[in-house]
Amino acid sequence: MRVGVLSWDRPWIWLLPLTAMLVAFTIMPLLYNIWLSFHEYHTFSRELRWVGGANWAQLVADARMWEALGITLFYFAVTLTVQVILGMAIALLLDDDEIGFGFLRTLLTLTLVVPPAIAGMMFLLIEDPEFGVLTYVLEQLGLLDKTTPILATASTAIWGVMLVDIWQWTPFMVLIFLAGLRSLPPEPYEAAMLDGASAFTVFRRITLPLMQKVIAVAVLIRGIDIFRMFDYVFVMTSGGPGTSTYTLSLYSWQQTFSFIKWGYGATLSLFTLLIILIVANLFIWVAKVRW
Amino acid sequence: MANVEYRSVGKNFGTVRVLNELSLDIGEGEFVVLLGSSGCGKSTLLRMTAGLETISSGEIAIDGKVVNGVHPRDRNIAMVFQNYALYPTMKVRENIAFSLEVAGKSRDEVNAKVEEAARVLSLTDYLDRKPSELSGGQRQRVAMGRAMVRDAKVFLFDEPLSNLDAKLRAHMRVEIRQLHDRLKATTIYVTHDQIEAMTMADKIVLMQGGGIVQVGTPDDLYDRPATRYVAEFIGSPQINCQEGEIVSDGADVHFKNSEVSLPLPAGYAAHGGTKVTCGIRPNDVQLSEEGAIVGRLKIAEKTGADKQMHLDVNGSEFVAVTPRSTEGVPGDDMRFAVDPGKVHIFDQSSGHRITTTLSGA
Ligand SMILES: Nc1ncnc2c1ncn2[C@@H]1O[C@H](COP(=O)(O)OP(=O)(O)OP(=O)(O)O)[C@@H](O)[C@H]1O
Ligand SMILES: [Mg+2]
Repeated sequence: MRVGVLSWDRPWIWLLPLTAMLVAFTIMPLLYNIWLSFHEYHTFSRELRWVGGANWAQLVADARMWEALGITLFYFAVTLTVQVILGMAIALLLDDDEIGFGFLRTLLTLTLVVPPAIAGMMFLLIEDPEFGVLTYVLEQLGLLDKTTPILATASTAIWGVMLVDIWQWTPFMVLIFLAGLRSLPPEPYEAAMLDGASAFTVFRRITLPLMQKVIAVAVLIRGIDIFRMFDYVFVMTSGGPGTSTYTLSLYSWQQTFSFIKWGYGATLSLFTLLIILIVANLFIWVAKVRW
Repeated sequence: MANVEYRSVGKNFGTVRVLNELSLDIGEGEFVVLLGSSGCGKSTLLRMTAGLETISSGEIAIDGKVVNGVHPRDRNIAMVFQNYALYPTMKVRENIAFSLEVAGKSRDEVNAKVEEAARVLSLTDYLDRKPSELSGGQRQRVAMGRAMVRDAKVFLFDEPLSNLDAKLRAHMRVEIRQLHDRLKATTIYVTHDQIEAMTMADKIVLMQGGGIVQVGTPDDLYDRPATRYVAEFIGSPQINCQEGEIVSDGADVHFKNSEVSLPLPAGYAAHGGTKVTCGIRPNDVQLSEEGAIVGRLKIAEKTGADKQMHLDVNGSEFVAVTPRSTEGVPGDDMRFAVDPGKVHIFDQSSGHRITTTLSGA
């Protein structure tokens, strides 16, 4: 064992670089953000002025903020649920050692390498009212008519956006679930077969409990991601039609960068962060995820 | 209740042949013990019976119906796995109750059966624990419990008592036999324990290298082992083997090597000159001044009820079980006599038992 500054019993030396990075790029911006939320930018005088709790008061009273939060939560709930269920279903189908399944599993990574903004553009075309493939199919099936384009109709626009998210991120769920499924011990399954259990019972009583932690981690990662989703709405609808796809992240972007309200924008983003922190920690506690 | 037939069953794992043309009939309600050294294919045979391994060649029939393509779920077989295979996320209670719940039994019936199994297995205090919170022996008993509550056609036990202490093992032996007598279910039981095999089995199947060497009652295998391998496998302490030759001079037939000259039944006369191995069980010898076996005592072990004398006879180890009062210190020369009828003679090259032409013993 070497003695000196770099010895094993002086961990703070080793932690220093990481701590420095954390302070510089995470803690400082966060503190600045908090500071900012008690100020507002005045365009005429071009300076930040102390406003006390005015931003927070505005936030609570802001109907557009509550609407955006509602939209975000709706988007969050639907997208996450679909991704978990669909992801698990596909993972169960692909959990097989037959020839070809390894290749299929590799294919899954394809959607993940597409930048989200590009995926948004792709679906903008797919859902285009004039020549979009999806539009055509839905029209042929009689589920859609020319007067209500998917992304330009208030009631369907959000679904049009969810579709990209589901297309792009369900494979991510599948990959995580597959990693979990493929590391499950085979013995309980053999025992369950001899005990006469049906495939569904086996899934419910054995697979799900064994996969609980894996599912929880996947839900956590995707949940946080979905909650602060920005690219898709920005590219596809810019929050429209009207405010029907204005999510919280898009709304704070608008306040900050379109309306140059540094203070209120910071308040909105802090509020988003608070919600994520509370919900995520509640979830960690309920799902008993141990880190 | 069902009979199980193996018809030229073979098993390959890739290019490795694990079971070879194995044929065996197990009658309805029979309690069959599979014996054999580690890696000889016992677990594989059980797993194929249960449907957990594919059958590479041949057929397995249960109740006269070939089950090669039948799903394990539909075979109505209960199995205690060598590695327990408990449900890790379920409590002991749920582990035992699982098959009953799946079968749609009423809650009262499930509870009654689980409680009863737990009582028999001394698991009552552990019903609300997860498998990870149990000791090895406790886990093994949960595995037993899971099988015991089943009302299966065939029961498969893969070394179900290997991790229990002597007392619990003796207790469980009786419980398993009683369970069998009550359910009259066909049972195939793998064990390494001589006493389990001898006391529980209606029939013992001795396997070696993926095949069957001998099938018979415990007495058959003990008294008339078909090969030297069987003789060495059955019986504890292990049978003593001496290499030598049958010498026949008219009236007298002897087994001879440089230090031992044992009289043999006259029936062996026809085999004069054959190179043989002579097997003598440690319990079949008596201390005697005129004895034919002379050995130098290496060590005397007290086992409680009696003594085991480890001797050097003609350069090889020879064990004799003697009354506990027998005196002897290392270095002593001791003489033992053996009843000629209790000597087992095996051909040296083939290892097969040589029977006397008269008695057919
Ligand atoms: N999945 C497998 N792939 C390849 N070889 C295997 C596999 N399972 C078992 N074997 C081999 O088959 C042979 C028989 O194994 P098996 O488990 O049936 O032995 P066993 O008689 O039950 O031994 P033990 O008394 O140690 O439990 C062994 O040589 C083992 O290495
Ligand atoms: Mg085994």
